[in-house]
Amino acid sequence: MLLVLSAEHRAHLGCLPRAGGAAVGELGRLALEQLRRGAAPRACEAAARKLNIDVDTIQHGVEGLAYLLTESSKLMISEIDFQDSIHVLGFSDELNKSLLQLYLDNRKEIRSILGELAPRLPSYHSLEWRLDVQLASRSLRQQIKPAVTMKLHLNQNEDQTAQVLQTDPATLLHLIQQLEQALGEMKTNHCRRIVRNMK
Amino acid sequence: ILDDPDLKDIDPTVLKHCHAAAATCILEAGKHKADISAISTCLEDCKLDKERIEQFCTEYQKNKDALEILLGSIGRSPLHITDVSWRLEYQIKNNQLHKTYQPSYLVTLNVENSDSGSHPDVSFSCTMEQLQDLVGKLKDAAKSLDRATQM
Repeated sequence: MLLVLSAEHRAHLGCLPRAGGAAVGELGRLALEQLRRGAAPRACEAAARKLNIDVDTIQHGVEGLAYLLTESSKLMISEIDFQDSIHVLGFSDELNKSLLQLYLDNRKEIRSILGELAPRLPSYHSLEWRLDVQLASRSLRQQIKPAVTMKLHLNQNEDQTAQVLQTDPATLLHLIQQLEQALGEMKTNHCRRIVRNMK
Repeated sequence: ILDDPDLKDIDPTVLKHCHAAAATCILEAGKHKADISAISTCLEDCKLDKERIEQFCTEYQKNKDALEILLGSIGRSPLHITDVSWRLEYQIKNNQLHKTYQPSYLVTLNVENSDSGSHPDVSFSCTMEQLQDLVGKLKDAAKSLDRATQM
């Protein structure tokens, strides 16, 4: 699958050949830092001074590189497709090779960063449990009522919530049976076939 | 009881008092799991004759178990899990990342509140490993229940 680069994007990347080989490494590093931590205008200014190019061009170049890397990583395009996609920019072979290397080296990390942006439901973190027996209450003395009290820890967008829940022994066994069935489903032929064929 | 034809000759206030008194007596007996002799003694002190005491006790015996269950269910407790549903899905892509290819489970615990009777269910997603961890912990709880019942 080929990446289609807009005219604006191509213009932004146009500063790369002027910057020279070493500079491409520097701009690549800035682009990755931007993806990891967000824009850093002071770093761009420093690079602009060092390379003797004006700040805006450097800024655009870094953003253009960042976008190129994220789109390529998102679609997980192959080496050949990446090379064909940037071929349209008309860069030198050496520059193309540097860009390809930059892509391949950082693809995995970029994908994991992008993975964190996806919509997410609260996810399981851990479970604590406790066995209780109710011996008496205001309405009834001399009881023996076993119960399992649990604290379910969930992660929601970096907040941890804990919910206290309770269940009786019969429901507990039912829960275990149902969830074991759920686990078993991944091992069925149907699921295995789908996982195999969708790669 | 105010509409009962057999009782219409009796003063309504007296009826209400009798009803309240009988109900209180039954609830207290149930609360303390009193046996027949204790109830009889109590009613004797209230100057009821033998026949009425016997009638009362017979009726009480008939309904004792149901009464205990009812009394036992009154009271506050944390949200009570009644059922679980799950969904297994295989994620192919999202708008930020394509070709994700990740299986994941969505588990919903149906919960009930002792007061209001309904509460939003607790839902969460988890990977296969996390679900295995959860099931392992639940099984530990079940095993300790087993051991406790054998003590």
